Formats: sequence, structure tokens, C-alpha cells
Amino acid sequence: MAFAIPKENYAGKVREIVIGKGDKAVKIGGYDSMPLCTFEGTWPNKPVVAMEVYDVAPELNAQGWPPATFEAFKDVINDPGAWAKKCLEYGADLICVQLAGTDPNAQNKSAEEAIEVVKKVKEAVGDIPLIIWGSNNLEKDQEVLPAIMEAFPNENWLFGPAEEGNYKKITASAIGYGHLVAGKSSIDVNLAKQLNILIENLGLSLDKVVMDPTTASLGYGIEYTYSVMERISLAALAQNDDKMQNPFINDLAKEAWKTREAMLTVEEEPTYGEQNTRGILMESITAIDLIAAGSSILIMRNPTAVKVIKELINELYS
Amino acid sequence: MNPIQEIKKPEGKFKIKFLPYNVEIDVFKEGENLLRIAMAAGVHINASCGGIGACGKCRVIIKNGLENIKGGKSPKLTKDEIEKGYRLACLTKVYGPIEVEIPKESQIDSSVYEIKKEPEHVLSATKIEHLIPSYKLNPTIFKVYLPLEQPTLDDNLNDVDRIIRTLKKHYNIENVTFDFEVVKKLPTLLRESNWKIVLTVVSVEGRYKVIDVVEGKKGAQNYAFVVDIGTTGVSGELLDLNVCDLLNDGIEEVSIAKGSVLAEHSIYNKQVSYGEDVITRIVYAIKGNGLEILQKAAVDTINEILDKCLEKSKINREDISFMVTAGNTTMTQLFLGVNPKYIREEPYVPTARQFPPVRAHKLGINLKESTYVYTFPNVASYVGGDIVSGVLATGIYQAPEITLFMDIGTNGEIVLGNQDWLVCTSCSAGPAFEGGGIKFGMRATPGAIEQCRINPENFEPMIMTIGGEKPIGICGSGLIEIISEMFKAGIISQNGKFNKDIDSPRIREGETGGYEFVIVWKENSGIGEDITICEADIDNLLRAKGAVFAGCKILLESVGMTFDDVERIIIAGGFGKYINLEKAIKIGLFPEVDLEKFIYVGNSSLMGTRLVAFSKDLMKEADKISNMMTHIELANNMKFMEEFVAACFLPHTDPSLFPKTMEEINKIVDKLKRKTQEVK
Repeated sequence: MAFAIPKENYAGKVREIVIGKGDKAVKIGGYDSMPLCTFEGTWPNKPVVAMEVYDVAPELNAQGWPPATFEAFKDVINDPGAWAKKCLEYGADLICVQLAGTDPNAQNKSAEEAIEVVKKVKEAVGDIPLIIWGSNNLEKDQEVLPAIMEAFPNENWLFGPAEEGNYKKITASAIGYGHLVAGKSSIDVNLAKQLNILIENLGLSLDKVVMDPTTASLGYGIEYTYSVMERISLAALAQNDDKMQNPFINDLAKEAWKTREAMLTVEEEPTYGEQNTRGILMESITAIDLIAAGSSILIMRNPTAVKVIKELINELYS
Repeated sequence: MNPIQEIKKPEGKFKIKFLPYNVEIDVFKEGENLLRIAMAAGVHINASCGGIGACGKCRVIIKNGLENIKGGKSPKLTKDEIEKGYRLACLTKVYGPIEVEIPKESQIDSSVYEIKKEPEHVLSATKIEHLIPSYKLNPTIFKVYLPLEQPTLDDNLNDVDRIIRTLKKHYNIENVTFDFEVVKKLPTLLRESNWKIVLTVVSVEGRYKVIDVVEGKKGAQNYAFVVDIGTTGVSGELLDLNVCDLLNDGIEEVSIAKGSVLAEHSIYNKQVSYGEDVITRIVYAIKGNGLEILQKAAVDTINEILDKCLEKSKINREDISFMVTAGNTTMTQLFLGVNPKYIREEPYVPTARQFPPVRAHKLGINLKESTYVYTFPNVASYVGGDIVSGVLATGIYQAPEITLFMDIGTNGEIVLGNQDWLVCTSCSAGPAFEGGGIKFGMRATPGAIEQCRINPENFEPMIMTIGGEKPIGICGSGLIEIISEMFKAGIISQNGKFNKDIDSPRIREGETGGYEFVIVWKENSGIGEDITICEADIDNLLRAKGAVFAGCKILLESVGMTFDDVERIIIAGGFGKYINLEKAIKIGLFPEVDLEKFIYVGNSSLMGTRLVAFSKDLMKEADKISNMMTHIELANNMKFMEEFVAACFLPHTDPSLFPKTMEEINKIVDKLKRKTQEVK
């Protein structure tokens, strides 16, 4: 008797989400099997890589910017538009504008300044869809993100993170100005679902929502992220829970590059080995784990890591 | 009579009609308050003073049947108005059919206010005698009157044996032993009393021990003092055991009539100032002389209740011959002064299942030396004697129906089962349901807001307080109603957070940051300040109800059942006199099952202590119950945390558990969505 692979039949399907518009629009989700289990179902849209562009130029060896990453962008580090273009050359599917500089505890850049940065990026990349990511400051994000939505209406970009403490203003603006929302919940299946319900209750269709389950780096709790993503996927697919059928976004580069393993020099920690490779591996392996967990959008930083991951995605999902 | 049937098909005594809505409601109780009737009928009348006639807002016009009402007149109404039939609803008692018109000024936007045609299911804690298994009135401690024959030269038997002989002769009591203190008293007392004495006798397993002797005559007074020691609230009752002058006349079957309770009193546990839950109390107890302090606090609390009960009943302290307490394991050990340290530490072991009876005065209770305290046996570290007492009182261990029993206090204790099996668990709910940890929370005593409706258009509340007094706070049942109504009115979202866009003076930023809703303005409150409910209060309630619901769900899953398999749900706890089932279901505290399955019994633990005071057979039953319950530990249950987070949402993260409630929520949400869209 021939061997038949035992297959799981899933009752549910994750929503297909479109980011951006026109020919360059990016589709994610739409899958009906667990990640990598394409023999049980289909993943019509591969995971995509969004590369970061920062609103404020980072300095060499500042947290998250060891040489491996800084060198790749040092020519464009002061010009968000050029930086974004470079990302496209490196193979980015979309651009993620990181508004870390708006954080009141950092440079406290204003919403107007943030709009200027977004404008430069948009002019440089044309119709490539953007992800606009706030500084994780609840108050500031609910001021800055809606302002950008208003400045660029109906672009159908993805804005995040919207959390329990500020989802109302961000969601209401997304409804009004035609954008998408990434809802961020703190590493819990039920909290993720509750946020989806709350966002939907405000009137934003779940076809416009992506889930950020809170991302941890390799070695710093990635197993929690993995577990929560797996359980959300099982609820969405196996139990057909329609409040959980949304694809994931993982803001992973910040986490991977701020680790000691990425930041310490060989002199500081000789047993860790060569620093550049180490950092790139931290980012790559974190991304691989998240692909295995079912991520649809990986927010990444280093071009070499991006290259590795793009090749891997093409191999896994071709 | 079975209260389930009472709810099912009530035969109305008379009808009351509300105009202009044309809503009719059956009223079963003569003299019922008109405002309460309106609330039950779903008719909104402005009312903000809690029902004392101070605010003068609840003006109604009695159109027909003025002869069927009493009261309702107030200086707030002019003579002319009174002649026209104007009354204040909160002061009006109804004795027969009437037609009431709600004048414009008392209604709010009547055009948009949705009138419910069906009266709501409000359960009051009333008779539960039908639940109690039949038993023989047969107290453990009883008094007997004994006229002895004087010794003579021919009959020179010693004093003790003379008593034993007489007991055998008059009451057929054998196997009698004596407390030494009693023997010491005998030589003088017998002679001074002219050989007429009253003995206090304890009976255990067919053996008898004489614990006290006094000079006496027939009809000796015999009372018991019973106490439910809650983590937050302590309630006590003084019982008349005199109905038990029975040993000769044969044993009669009785029901526990309310008449046997001479006095009752209830106050906060004085231990509360040392920590709100059992864990913080244990932590306190194991430091320094903490145990001593907490033991004294418990005893002081009980002594205060005892004094109040004696004052109310006017009986003699010396005539109390028995005391029964029930409490959770920690409360029991703290009361007895037994170190509770190991209750908190893995593997969570209590000191004893059944503590031996102990003399009350040794613990510091102001009762005579011979009075013993019986404490209810517990099951596990977090399933205590109070729950055993509740199971006993509600008789679920003898009934064939699968019953879910929920005792909702600071610790939510849950029992599932029937005559053949019982499983139980406990989860920390926090003191919210008893008014603790809530800014304006209070126990269910006069002045506590216990019922509330909020007009969804202008957010004006309609409140009723216990005893119709000026509102001074909110009790558990009031809290459930307020949160359910706030949600219904769109003031809070499904996660219990305020909708900050609402433009109303009642919704404002509180002094300590965070939003709050003003239920009563200070002009109408009895405390000189606004009574509000804030986000932290709502969080506390959400967590409390989340813990209870999650506990129920895990317990059911542990035996492979769902809520649909449960035939009866018995609710116990100190919420207040009423509990509005529909609202409790809407916030997700109780499961969405047939309303007729619910029975509310109030303080079942106190009920159990009362039973045990009357019958030693039931004391044996309590022991049996504590032995037969299988305890499911939640502390190491991974699933519990997940279920808990899922349940901390209105009504629940899983909408399929609350299909009917969700239908209503979807309507509210649609309305809010439209509003959001309009703003854009």
C-alpha cells in the first residue's frame, strides 16, 4: 500500500489583505493551512519583507546599529528617500517607515516632521506600499499616525502599532482616510482576539487589519511569540474563529539588533566570534522562526539578512 | 413551594399599566414600591435619590386606581398637583390595579427609549427550604432538666452516678461522661438547687458528655450562635434551640423556619485592614505576631456581632450553649489561631480537614466557659468549610440533578455534581462583589445602590437603594447592574474602557486620572460627594467575573461537561437581596443558559451553620460532604489563565458562549459604528 501523508483538514481560512493600491499593491494572507504545511492547503501569498527606513538618522554603534547594519546604509542614512530606494535595490517588498524619532523620550519629532519624512519616502519609491510604524508611545502614536493618514488619504497603507490604549483614534482615522491598521496585543491569544473585536466594533472591517502579537528576538523569548502565533493560527484555521483570521506582522529587526549578541564586539566578547556575521544571523534566524510561526510581514533591517530570508521564502513557498 | 416554579408561571395578583408606553406588568406583592415596579417593567422614570423622596424627580400621575395606593405625597408636589393625581413613585406603595402616566418631565426622550415588554428576571434570596434535605431536629448540644431523687441512707449513690442513673431513667441516655469542671460544681450546686438541675450535654456518635450544670427548672433556655466568617464580610445569627426540648417526646421533623433566628448581624471582617484577600492575610500572619493580631481581629469581629445579636434579641449571654462557624480554610485557621503558612506554599496543605471542637472562651469569644465552637470541615486549602456548609444547606449532595453551585465572595468557590459525585474548585475573585476594592463599594446594607438603569440617550440613571435610603455607595448586585447598563448605553466598550467621546457631564476625567461615570450627584448622595464608578472599578469587576466564569468552565471541562449539561445553577453570595440574572449574564458572570435553571440562595454558608446547630445528623453529613468532594486545583492549571483572560471581556472573548447577548451587543455596536461614521 502506498504511503499517504496524514493531512489535517482546516475549517477556516485567513483573510487576504491588500496593502497599497494599483500594480504595486502587496497581498498577504489568504492561506488555509498552517505555515510550511502547504501539502495541507495553500498559501497563495508568500510572506513579504518590509525594510526599515528611520525618520532620524541613527549613529554608528548606537543601540541596534553595529557596523554590519550601519555600513549598508551609511551613504543614505540622512536621506529617507534615498534610504528607501536602497531598500528596494536590496529586495524589499515594501518600505516600513519607522518613526522612532517622534518618541517624546527620543527626539520628540512633531507630526509635521513625520509627514515630511513620509513624503520623501513616497516620492522616492512611487507606488510601493508603505507601512508606517509609530514609536510605541501610546499618546504620541495616536497623534502622529492619524496626522499622516490625513496627509496621505486613501493610500491604503498599513499603520501600527495600534494598542488597547490608543486603537480608537488610530482606527477611527484609518476608517476616515482609507488605511489599514496593525493591532498590537501583548503576547496573549485572547488579548489579540479582543483587540480585533474592539477594532471591528469601531467599524473597521477586519479585511483591513493585521495582527502584531508582540515580537521577541531569538534568545529573548521568541518561543512565546512562536507559541502565541501558532495558537492564533490554530484558532483561525482549525476552529474557524473568524475574529482571529488575520495575517501577522512582526517588528523583528529592532529586537534582533539590540541584543548583546548583535551589539558586542569581538574584543568585548571573544567567545562570540565575528560580530557582523553574528548580528546578521540573529536577525535571519529570528525571521526564519517567525516564518515558521506563520508571519506574513517581516520588518527587517540588514540587506544580507533580507537576502537570506527572501531566498528562503522563495524556496519554501514556490 | 419551589421558587423555580414561582418564576416560571407567576399568577399576578393585579396589573399595573404604564402610560404613555402602554406597558402592563403583573404585581405579586401588595404594598410593592411603584418605582421598583417601574424598574421591573422596564419603564424609565428619573430617580436619583435612591428612593427617599428627596430629589422629587420621579413624578408620576395616577390615572386610575388612586384608592389602591398609599403614600406618594411629598412637599415636592403642590396641592394642586396632588389633587390631579401626581405622586412620587419612590414613596408610593401599590395595593391594587392602577394606571400610571409618566409625565414628560419624568421621562427622558421617551420616543427613543426602548421599552421591554417582558419583566426582567430578578431573583431574590428567599425560601430555600425545599432544597434542604429532610433531617431530624437533634442538636449536638442540648439541655435537659433533671429532677433528682435526694440521696438517703438506703440510696447513698454518689452525685455523679445519681445523675447518670436519672438520665438513663428519664431520657434513656447512656454512655455519659462528665467534664471535670462540672463534677467540681456538683456537691454544692445539687444541694443548693434542691436537686433540680439543668445539664448541658454534648452528644457525639452515641456518647454523651455533660459540659455544664446549673440550677434550673423545666424549659431551660438553649441558644446557639452561628457565624459565617468571610474574607471580607462576617455574618452571625443567634438561634433559638428551645424548640428542641424533645428528647422524651420523640423526635419531630421540622423545617428551619426563619422564626428560630432571633437576631442577625453582619459587618466587615476586621482583618480587612491587614489585607484584602487570603494570600495577603497569610503573608501578614506569618510575620512577627501577625497571627495573634489576625486571630484577635477575627474574634473582635465576631464579638461585635455577638454583642449586636444579644442586644437585638435581649437574651442572656449565659444561655448560649453552642457555637458553629464556617469559613474558608484560611479564615478557619486564622480564627482558631492555627498557623496558615502552609496553605499558601506548594503543595498547599491545610492543617486539618476537621478541627476538633474548641472552647469558645479560649479563643477569646465572650461566651461562657462551657460553650464549644464547632468549625465546619474543609476540603482543601482553598475550598473551605463555608463551601461545605453551602453544599449542605442547598442539599445538592442528595439531589439527583446535576447542579453547579457558585458561592461568589472574595474567593469564588464552585461545586459541581449531584448525589453521586461532587467536584469543586476555587478561584480568587477579589472583593469586588462584596463592594471591596471599588471606590464607592460597600456591603449590601441600607443606602447601597442595588438596582440601576441608565437611559441610553442622555445617560441619566434611575437607581434604587437598599432600604430606600439616600445612596451612600454601591453593593455587588448594584455594581453588576451599573456595568451592564453602562455597556448597554455605550459608555464603556467590551473591554470595560470608557468611550471618551461621549459628551455628558456624567462622564468625566476623575481626580486620579482615568475616566469615571457619575451615578449620583453629591446633592442627592448621602455622603456629601458624587458617587462615581471609574475604570479601575470596572477592571476589578471584570477580573472578578472573569475568574468565576473561568473557574466554572475549567471545572465543567474537567468532568467532560458543558454548561448545557447542568440542570440547576445555585448562586450564593453576599451580593445583596436581589440579583438581576439577565444583567449578570450580559456581563458574562453567569453562563447564558435557561433562566429557569438559576436559584439564588444568598448566604448559604450561614444557612449551613444554622442547620448544623439544629442537627447532629447534619453535622455528620457535613463531614461526609467534605470527604466526598474531589478538589480540582487551579493554581497549577495552565488552561485557567487562558480562560481567565478570555473571560475578562464583556461578555466573553468567545461570542459563541453568549449568542443571545451577542445579538444585543451587535445592535449596540452597530449604533456606535453609525455614530463613529457620522463623526467622520
